Amino acid sequence: MSSVRLLRVSVALAVVGAIAIPASASAMPVVTMSGSTSVAPLAALLARAYLKSHPNAVKFKLAQGGSDVGIADVAAGRVSIGNSSRDPKSSDPGGIFFNKIAKDGICVITNPGNPVANLSQAQVKAIFGGQVRDWSDVAGSNISGAIDVVVRTAASGTQDAFQKIFLGTTSVTGAASQKSSNGLIQNAVHTDKNAVGYVSLDFVTGTNAAAYNGVACDLRNAKSGEYGGVRNFWMVTRGKPAASSQTAKFIAWASSSSAAQKIVGTHWVPLQ
Amino acid sequence: MLDRLREPWTDRRAGLLLGALACSVLAIIVFMIAFVAVKAWPSFSHNGLSWFSSKGNVDQQLDAMVNSGPNPGTADYQLGAWPLIYATLLTTGFATFFGLIFSLFSAIFIVEFAPEPIRRLIVPIVRLLAAIPSVIYGLIGILVLAPFVGDSIISAQQKSSVQFVIPLSGTGLLVASLVLTVMITPIMIAITVDGLHSIPRAWKEGALALGVNRWRAMWTVTVRAARPAIIAGAVLATARALGEAIMISMVAGSKGFSPNPLDGVTFLFEPIRTLAATVVEDAESVNAPAMQASLYAMALVLLVGAFFLSLGSWIAKQPLKKYGTRS
Amino acid sequence: MSVPTRPQGAPTPLPPLPLPRSPGSQRGKSPKKKRVNESVRTWRTTDRIGYGMMWAAGLLLCAIGIGILAFMAFKGLQYLRPDLIFTHPTPEVDQSKSGGFLDPLIGTVLITLIGITVATPIAVGAATWIVEYGRPTWLARLIDSGIEIIAGTPDIVIALFGLVLFQQGIFGWMSFTAAGGAVFGRSFLTAGAMMSLIALPMVFAATREGLQSIPAHVREASYALGKTKAATIRRVLLPSVKANISTGAALGMGRIAGDTAIIVVLLGASLTLDPQGNVPGLNVLKGTGGTLTSYVYNNSPAGEGNAPQKAYAAAFVLLLIVLALNFAVDLIARSGAKTGLETSRLGAR
Repeated sequence: MSSVRLLRVSVALAVVGAIAIPASASAMPVVTMSGSTSVAPLAALLARAYLKSHPNAVKFKLAQGGSDVGIADVAAGRVSIGNSSRDPKSSDPGGIFFNKIAKDGICVITNPGNPVANLSQAQVKAIFGGQVRDWSDVAGSNISGAIDVVVRTAASGTQDAFQKIFLGTTSVTGAASQKSSNGLIQNAVHTDKNAVGYVSLDFVTGTNAAAYNGVACDLRNAKSGEYGGVRNFWMVTRGKPAASSQTAKFIAWASSSSAAQKIVGTHWVPLQ
Repeated sequence: MLDRLREPWTDRRAGLLLGALACSVLAIIVFMIAFVAVKAWPSFSHNGLSWFSSKGNVDQQLDAMVNSGPNPGTADYQLGAWPLIYATLLTTGFATFFGLIFSLFSAIFIVEFAPEPIRRLIVPIVRLLAAIPSVIYGLIGILVLAPFVGDSIISAQQKSSVQFVIPLSGTGLLVASLVLTVMITPIMIAITVDGLHSIPRAWKEGALALGVNRWRAMWTVTVRAARPAIIAGAVLATARALGEAIMISMVAGSKGFSPNPLDGVTFLFEPIRTLAATVVEDAESVNAPAMQASLYAMALVLLVGAFFLSLGSWIAKQPLKKYGTRS
Repeated sequence: MSVPTRPQGAPTPLPPLPLPRSPGSQRGKSPKKKRVNESVRTWRTTDRIGYGMMWAAGLLLCAIGIGILAFMAFKGLQYLRPDLIFTHPTPEVDQSKSGGFLDPLIGTVLITLIGITVATPIAVGAATWIVEYGRPTWLARLIDSGIEIIAGTPDIVIALFGLVLFQQGIFGWMSFTAAGGAVFGRSFLTAGAMMSLIALPMVFAATREGLQSIPAHVREASYALGKTKAATIRRVLLPSVKANISTGAALGMGRIAGDTAIIVVLLGASLTLDPQGNVPGLNVLKGTGGTLTSYVYNNSPAGEGNAPQKAYAAAFVLLLIVLALNFAVDLIARSGAKTGLETSRLGAR
């Protein structure tokens, strides 16, 4: 064979071989995560810290897509860990196991031009459930006008948590507009004087976070347990992972080690 | 075998290879349509033709699907997608109608009447506008236009008049349609300008020689003759308006609601959500079977719509074939 | 002294006649002439309304265009710092203090390259077949309409199609097969494959127009010299439409760079490039990542990044990239293509 032909054939073989070699040829185990966009920043920080304290033990891959995507992915075996910001639902696929790793505060927010200082649970239920329609009927509000209720879409873990913790059995009024992210609710409440909504603790800039049942919504109160509106962050696995697997080690580290708790404590509520 | 590949290729072999490439494109599109149709079938089979009607609050129906779990029953598939279809028709119709008028007059301006300095400015501007990604239009819409409309244009009285049903906060039909119009106009302008340029100048000069004024000559001769190109541009722009998802999901209010024209001016401010925006917003729940079937059903409706647009443009261009101009 | 005589039989040249010049025909070729008898006030009312609307439309277009571009430039430059372009994004809750967008920038470049590399051979091959062979005719027309349908398909439909398609087992080599046996399905390769569908109609249309505008006598000359059709295509036709292919490719790249829906669904939306596997280069392609469009989307209120300043800065950089591609189209078009694609005719989406 001519040298040119030999070169061409060997390049072709190399390309084909490179594509075909399975990823398992790597020596390090890989922990893949996908799921909630709210949990993603925390998961990324935890992964980074874990790599620093356990060098060369494991590789991480972090994708997003939403709590539902994470749960479905892990149930189908596409990822090792699914991040979820909502509690388990009866409609979830079977065979999955929820590991709690942190907690997160949810604040009810209003426009800065409508600085409601405190809302009781009864008031929150009445406002979001649609029984109270006008700001003049809300004690603590000094403006008047129709209340614009802004909530998250049904797929959101934050919406699930809000429904369970704040509303209980009251369902959200059909007049509410549904946004698909914390940022959109924050933006809506920031720009519309009559709006009221709820966001994760990190998204309250530019809005007025009302105290809930007399307790101010901030990280300190959430950590101390006084603030009632706190929801769980989960890392979901397919069944209980074997104790020797990197997945189990990482989850155990994330939920109990002091280094991890310190990271969680920067913006979220640690478990202890 | 490698020897045979290095011989001069026969026409037949080359023809077969190129034909295979061409057919692979066809195969991909056929496969895509078939795939989407198969995935969409459960939604249509459980709903029948009432899929296209209005069965109440479509948001609640979609929410129920998210929670329906891996084994949904017939009740879980219930969907009356009319509010979404209506919103798609409204925004696309609005954008195409006003966009067509705006782009036609702008194209005439660019081709004929613009003074040279303005023309040198406008042509790059049109090309720039056509190149802006939709997420940037969405950014401007949600951070600039929607608050402006919400604060300065919608009155408190209008807000309270519909407060029991929907919130009026700036994001809604008007902002979505305006931004969509601005998005699709550059495409139409570019194609129309091309079309107007390709009409032989002599035709218009003949009209001028007969004493017709410039505007009339342009309008009755050149524009009339460029109709195939104008239609082609309008079809391309409408297809884009139909499929626009990201921008609409940011600025249109995200509520599956059928705006009521009888509401008067408030009609323009009511929040909506189109088919494509619904697919993007609910894409994260695509693993729930009921939701998956519904989303693919919406995707199928959009595909069929795009197909009928192509068909319609072909039909509309048939009687214009006598002008013989490239479209 | 000899008088210069005209050669015998040559006609006497006429003095130049003051022929009336049509107002539009001397565009750009001579200084502005004073228009005679051309007062709008003498026109009919409907014509005057049309004239007025036209000027209004033109000026409104200018205003909107300049407004949008000035706003984006102002906001972008306000928030753009050079280090943003060269630093990797770091995952922080408070995105406004952390990292830049180097990875999304690389992601945009990668995705565009993959998409156009896959699209161009297929599109050029299909266009060549349709123009040069094209038998049976019903098949050619079918392929034509098929590509028109692809051009009209919303990108979210293509994204959904790609997501479920590439999660099937046979495509495991394109992304990542998890320990559980299921295919992850989201990677640069899969997103790039779907992006090629987005760019395909542009390259196809540009190539087809180029091939159709080559006069028949060029082909006939080649055949007369004894070349086969295949050789003619390879040696004569394709080299002469290189400019058209480049124009179509640049338009397609512009469209790919601006697409968001496919990235959000098919690329895993991870903040940094996440390589997968061990083969250098290929591992990046099989891994997940983000592009400037998904970065802007995530940092805008629609996403969870909570950093509109970064969104503006990234949007500005994205705009510059897309403008640069358009400028490249212009250069190529001016240097050779004879196709009437001077204005971005195929409408970079």
